[in-house]
Amino acid sequence: MDALNNLMYGFSIALEPINIAYVFAGVFAGTIIGMLPGLGPISALALMIPITFSMEPSSGLILMAGVYYGAIFGGSTSSILLNAPGVAGTVATSFDGYPMAKKGQAGKALAIAAYASFIGGTVSVVFLMLVAPLLSKVAVSFGPAEYFALMVLGLTAVVSLSDKSLVKGLIAAVIGVMISIVGIDMQTGTERFTFGSINLLDGIDFLVVALGIFALAEVFYMLLRGGDSKEGPRNAIGSLKLTRSEVGEIAGPVSRGSVLGFFTGVLPGAGATIGSFLGYSMEKKIAKDGDTFGQGNIKGVAAPEAANNAACTGSFVPLLTLGVPGSGTTAVLLGALLVMGVNPGPMMLEQRPDVFWGVVASMYIGNIFLLVLNLPLIPFIAKILDMPKALLLSLILIFCMIGVYGMSFSVFDLLLLLGFGVLGLGMRLFGFPAAPLILALILGNIMEESMRRALQISGGDWMTFIDKPISLSLLVIAALSLTLPLIKKRRRKA
Amino acid sequence: MKTSLKRLTLLALPAALLVGATASAQAQEWAPTKSIEFVAPANPGGGWDTLVRTVSRVLQEEGLAERNFAAINVPGGGGAVAWAQIARDNGNPHKLFATSPPIILVPLSGASRYDHTDFTPIARLITDYSIILVSADSEYETLNDLFDALKENPNLSVGGGSAPGSMDHISMAGAAAAAGLEAASVNYVPFSGGGDAMTNLMGGHIEAVITGAGESVGQLGEGSQLRALGVSAPERLGGGLEDVPTYQEQGIDYTFDIWRGVMGTPDMPAEAVAYYEDLFAEMLETDGWQRARDQLGWIDAYQDSEAFGDFLDAQQEQFSSVLGDLGLLRQ
Repeated sequence: MDALNNLMYGFSIALEPINIAYVFAGVFAGTIIGMLPGLGPISALALMIPITFSMEPSSGLILMAGVYYGAIFGGSTSSILLNAPGVAGTVATSFDGYPMAKKGQAGKALAIAAYASFIGGTVSVVFLMLVAPLLSKVAVSFGPAEYFALMVLGLTAVVSLSDKSLVKGLIAAVIGVMISIVGIDMQTGTERFTFGSINLLDGIDFLVVALGIFALAEVFYMLLRGGDSKEGPRNAIGSLKLTRSEVGEIAGPVSRGSVLGFFTGVLPGAGATIGSFLGYSMEKKIAKDGDTFGQGNIKGVAAPEAANNAACTGSFVPLLTLGVPGSGTTAVLLGALLVMGVNPGPMMLEQRPDVFWGVVASMYIGNIFLLVLNLPLIPFIAKILDMPKALLLSLILIFCMIGVYGMSFSVFDLLLLLGFGVLGLGMRLFGFPAAPLILALILGNIMEESMRRALQISGGDWMTFIDKPISLSLLVIAALSLTLPLIKKRRRKA
Repeated sequence: MKTSLKRLTLLALPAALLVGATASAQAQEWAPTKSIEFVAPANPGGGWDTLVRTVSRVLQEEGLAERNFAAINVPGGGGAVAWAQIARDNGNPHKLFATSPPIILVPLSGASRYDHTDFTPIARLITDYSIILVSADSEYETLNDLFDALKENPNLSVGGGSAPGSMDHISMAGAAAAAGLEAASVNYVPFSGGGDAMTNLMGGHIEAVITGAGESVGQLGEGSQLRALGVSAPERLGGGLEDVPTYQEQGIDYTFDIWRGVMGTPDMPAEAVAYYEDLFAEMLETDGWQRARDQLGWIDAYQDSEAFGDFLDAQQEQFSSVLGDLGLLRQ
């Protein structure tokens, strides 16, 4: 058992007292960073580069990796309690997590998120350990045509995410795609939907839209319904305990979410956000009670939480085995490793096994720390809901504004946030679902860029999407996932 | 530039120090009175950000600067957002920003109202070069093999890490022109970064990649899936890239610098410029800087304010002619 020997070697590094301290410091800082909307792992890691510079490379990466997966772990808290996603990867968690909190099950939602994150994180470390070198082949087998097909498959989830009216769901998705293409077009350098403003040249940050449409819209909505404070206290946090049948219910979503999330994370450019959405929409399609997703279904919390943590670990595969960063966060990690004198890439497993195996082993420890750290904290953190409504709403408002301003130091982004808050309120009042908009926003841009890249490579030949086996099978699955539900419906009617 | 840049720098440095020393003797009156805002006009993680953070750290560790250098990220518009902000800060001696070819390319493509002439050049610090890569099992052994193939089949795709009309594209188009092809005939496919382009090359989705040599070092060497065909440097690079021939060795008379330097607010007072010139020249001599520089694959390429300003003007001329050939000039 080569892997076992290597893992023991890894633990001998990760269990050095100083490294245990780094894991703990990393995941603790990460959890807090994740909870605060806007302050994401990217900026936190960039700030840490000077600190890690003089450290042993393995210790430095152990610390920074801890911050990264700790943030994804902690990001669910504000998604569930405030409907304000802490990091981009936890947007999907709010779809069912926030309704659960409103029903007085905040404790349970947070506990499920913690367990699912723990399992997603741990399962994916096992994968990372066993198959990372092999998986680098999978990562490179995805070219533009394959990414296009994957995004098409992801977008078919719009159908399942638009609960009441398909037309309204499609309208929301089109708006999402339109927001996603704002800015300089990567392929030609043309400005699109920028209205001559330099502030829009780089496009609109995903978190600005998500915080506006979810958190701010919620604040506005509660304000509009005013005098509602009688509506019954939300202070019931509820029990943290899961019944045996609930454990059985989420076992499937968690394990499927872990696997799906890991493989999404392995693909450079896909990452935790797309992974959590794919996990959510897949469970919604599979589940017998899929129509109660969005109203506080525990599976709707478990699946995306397992998926986003698994994807976070998965994104270390291209980073460590190819030296290719798959996301903004891993790009900062790559930079930090270079500064510490480590060249991640195909040769790293041989040249610096201490870094690779040390980090892998530290992830097992870090995930246990996160669980132990987060579970006892839940009753205290959930107390935030006991606050008088006036205070709570102002707090959400302040969190969102600090988060957005802290990302870009741009007043313009604050105005955008406000604009999306109003848009989100309008959508709620007129029964347009927000989830398809967010999904289309994430996928639209990558889908378009990949399609045009693929066509540029093939010399404009559309057959390129059908000639490649991976792309063809993804497109076939997409077509099936669109047509099967329709056929089922027909049959039921007949 | 036929002589090695490294050697040039070695020669130039003591001279620069001498000049700096005399300059500081005249301008000793000026020193920063509060901490200096050092702007990276991009998000954390990129080239500008790395430069800003590395310089700030080295200055602090070596105890060179009287005041703290605070790294600030102002992302947006490929730099245009930060430039617009800094352009308003006329004469402020406590604000600097990291710069590189986009300060010339972005305005030329019409995406920024401000260009390098609106700001005060302080110093050029380092440079990187372009590298052209193919897959390890590719049939192309030399640059000429690749360019011959591109001549025959212009559909073959060359990936790069940045948008059309930006560094990688200009560098590739210039090399192609020097090899006797039409600059605009290269099927340049922009990816979201050099890493993204290299992954696509490993997967066999594209024919070749052009990216920064520093960025590619980790991908080359024994057991690598990639093969380097040439670097755009005037002389062979060191480290892991010493086996990679230059374009010129292969009969393609073309060099391309991916330089990085520091600029200041419009009309920054001459005493402040002299202070910073001096400071950066001194920093380049420290062990801390040389360690960081080698790890990041950078090559020292110091120029003082005046030389840097002339260099920028020359670059603008060169770039606008290539962009004109590519039909991407929008001014």
